[in-house]
Amino acid sequence: MSAQVLVFDILSVIAVLAALGVVLARNPVHSAVSLALTFVNLAAIYVILRAEFLAVVQIIVYTGAILVLVLFVIMLVHQEDLPEFHGGQPLQRIFGFLVGLALLGEVAAAILTRTAVGQSGPWTPQQVAAAGGNVQAVGQVLYSGYVLPIQATAIVLLVATIGALVLARPDAAILPGVIQRQVLTISLGHPRGDGEEEGYEVPMLPSGTTTKEEAGERELVMVKTGDEFTDQPAWGDRKR
Amino acid sequence: MYEHLISSYIVGFIVLNVLLGLMAYMTWFERKVLARFQDRLGPTRTGPFGLLQPLADGVKLLSKEDIVPANADRLIFLVAPLVSFVLAPLGAAVIPFGRSITLFGYNVNLYVTDINIAVLYILALGSMGVYGIILGGYASGNRYSLLGALRSAAQVVSYEVVLGLSLVGVFILSGSLSLLQIVNEQSQSLSFGGLQVPNWYILSQPLAFALFLVAAVAETNRSPFDLPEAETELIGGFHTEYSGFRFSFFFLAEYINMIVVSLLASTLFLGGIDGPIADGVWWLVIKALIFLFFYVWLRATLPRFRYDQLMGLAWKVLMPLVFLNIALTGLIRLFGIGAI
Repeated sequence: MSAQVLVFDILSVIAVLAALGVVLARNPVHSAVSLALTFVNLAAIYVILRAEFLAVVQIIVYTGAILVLVLFVIMLVHQEDLPEFHGGQPLQRIFGFLVGLALLGEVAAAILTRTAVGQSGPWTPQQVAAAGGNVQAVGQVLYSGYVLPIQATAIVLLVATIGALVLARPDAAILPGVIQRQVLTISLGHPRGDGEEEGYEVPMLPSGTTTKEEAGERELVMVKTGDEFTDQPAWGDRKR
Repeated sequence: MYEHLISSYIVGFIVLNVLLGLMAYMTWFERKVLARFQDRLGPTRTGPFGLLQPLADGVKLLSKEDIVPANADRLIFLVAPLVSFVLAPLGAAVIPFGRSITLFGYNVNLYVTDINIAVLYILALGSMGVYGIILGGYASGNRYSLLGALRSAAQVVSYEVVLGLSLVGVFILSGSLSLLQIVNEQSQSLSFGGLQVPNWYILSQPLAFALFLVAAVAETNRSPFDLPEAETELIGGFHTEYSGFRFSFFFLAEYINMIVVSLLASTLFLGGIDGPIADGVWWLVIKALIFLFFYVWLRATLPRFRYDQLMGLAWKVLMPLVFLNIALTGLIRLFGIGAI
């Protein structure tokens, strides 16, 4: 028992330190990694509590989701800003501080007003063993007492999936009859490509398409080296 | 109580060391087989049949300079290869290499641990292992590495779903997530008239097996799904900036992952230690070798997927098939065919 307490102490200290790292780290990727570390330690604590299924689900679902978080950070924040990224306006920070304080108060109240031990749930270790183990016990509860919530969740997820599909669909598939937008490239080195000759037509354009000149996209820049094109130097420190 | 713990640790120690040795010789095996596919001889100079080649490779990698790029996120850059390497062999802890034997009067289990969630545990390790690649690619401070990392993230997130769901059919049939129990289920033989057939899940779940195989190759970033390290497009990919033994950590983690996935596939679908004459770890080794050969075969034969083909395959082909398999297995089980 004492060994269990010791392991719990180690895990919980690491978890709390990593959780502090989440809010204190300047680099959002470091924050995300700290969060992953917190979740892994929580999963280990679940294993000590003999909730192995919960532990594995914690890792697969939550730690896997942090991966996506890391990706969002990498893709949405400028790479140059990453090492010292301070998110938010002053007002947002004050608001966030207040909300955090309120949440902390709630958690403290929840812990202080009731004791963690003494109110055990209906499932004893013997009952879990009789059900055939952790997974079977969770499955029995989920698919007997909680069938309706599970099915409601399934429908919500299905709606979300369909929504994602509709959003990701190209316009032409939604509005039949509209010509699908195609990008045609015409080589500038083509003998007929400069458009100077008499009676010149851009070859093989289907009706209903627009060319890039009409859309007015961007000007052509002719440079000798990459350094002329961008003011960022190829080597050394980046300009901010 | 403590005897069990000690024997578990001893078995775990042996498994870990054998795995690390095998991983070195997996590189030799791959070079030899690949060479044969390409009508070459492969390593021949170092020792008989080039058997000392892994040692030479190891010495070479260890003696290289350990470079940290100026642009790198130093801490993450140093830790990322360790994440990959440490997580890779952990999966072998739940593979049963045999049942229990009595040795010097002690009852010794020939597996490190038989947990009730063994398969989920391996899936969880897989979802953690990709952190090494992503963080390594991000921390290198190199656009190509970052692109490799992003590709890897998209690939793993997609194929992880297929991998996990392809096993649901096996769970439905076996009624358990414990690998030992799955092996025990498979060692019962079915008889059709006079024909005795082992209850291996490759026979009752052929679709699941095929899907698992494809997803497993993608999960281990092996050819033809090795887009994260596409040297022709990304100058190497997520490990471009790594050198010396930090690079070798990534490299070896890939080989350990291959071995663990081969062991897992043999255990889940081919009956693991179950075999025609005498049950034992040799059957598991033979089956795993078949899968390892298959890995090398794929690399020697197939060109790399294009990125959109990769994602299209996962979401438009494999995913519907996986759901079909689950629905079919559930229906069959519901109407009592193949009930335990």
